[in-house]
Amino acid sequence: MFRSPIKRRSDGTYRFAVGDDERRLVASVVGQLRELILADDPATVRLSPPPYGDDDERNAGYAALAGTELTERRLASIDIVLDTVDAESLTQDQLESWMRSINDVRLVLGTILDVDEDDRPAPGRGDAADNLAVYEYLGILLELTVRALTD
Amino acid sequence: MSRPASAGGTCASRGLGAAHRRRISIERASAPAPVETLEPETTDQVDLDSPWVVIVWNDPINLMSYVAFVFRKLFGYSKEEAERLMLQVHHEGRAVVSSGDRQEAERDVFRLHEHGLWATMQQD
Repeated sequence: MFRSPIKRRSDGTYRFAVGDDERRLVASVVGQLRELILADDPATVRLSPPPYGDDDERNAGYAALAGTELTERRLASIDIVLDTVDAESLTQDQLESWMRSINDVRLVLGTILDVDEDDRPAPGRGDAADNLAVYEYLGILLELTVRALTD
Repeated sequence: MSRPASAGGTCASRGLGAAHRRRISIERASAPAPVETLEPETTDQVDLDSPWVVIVWNDPINLMSYVAFVFRKLFGYSKEEAERLMLQVHHEGRAVVSSGDRQEAERDVFRLHEHGLWATMQQD
């Protein structure tokens, strides 16, 4: 039977037995995520939806108030992932940082891949195929993380 | 919302409440002890107090299990209620997940955005 590499221990910490290749992959993609966020790249649009729908004035006011804080939190989460990238034991807060940063990468990759509700993205070639493979792998890792956190 | 390629979809979960809230910059309005006042409420005040609702919209990227987990974590919903709201988002395209004054709604929107959910707010 499949045994998840992420599991809650009785002391409240989490066993985190993800393979080295996967750790290198996550480190790479969250590092790229940080660059995209700092560059305010269009692919990151999904990370800060306008809260007030079509009300541009209120959206601008909200962004002025909360935008920097939202970005700082995303970057802080990435830093925690990179700081713990080789850890075999994570606290719940650290694991939740992994969860959020992995989800952020999926949002950016899903935007680049133009993921649709009904159809899985076409495999494509080259970068698109690589992006899709990473997107799907991160989906599995995220699912295992959520399961561990909810057990 | 979507399911991961090969790790299944539902979450078997229990017991995780809102115990892990962190400091955020948009704090809930402080609630001072009630003070007796002789001033009548004005219509302006009524308008200010009319509730805002926070809406989460369906999107094709976020995992169903993840969305339900975020609802439980941020709002302390039971597993059943979080699943119900997640499925409402999934099937109907949107769900109201919280309500309050404008400041409270902005705080909730912020926390949902921090977790990558597509959230908006509007006056009820």
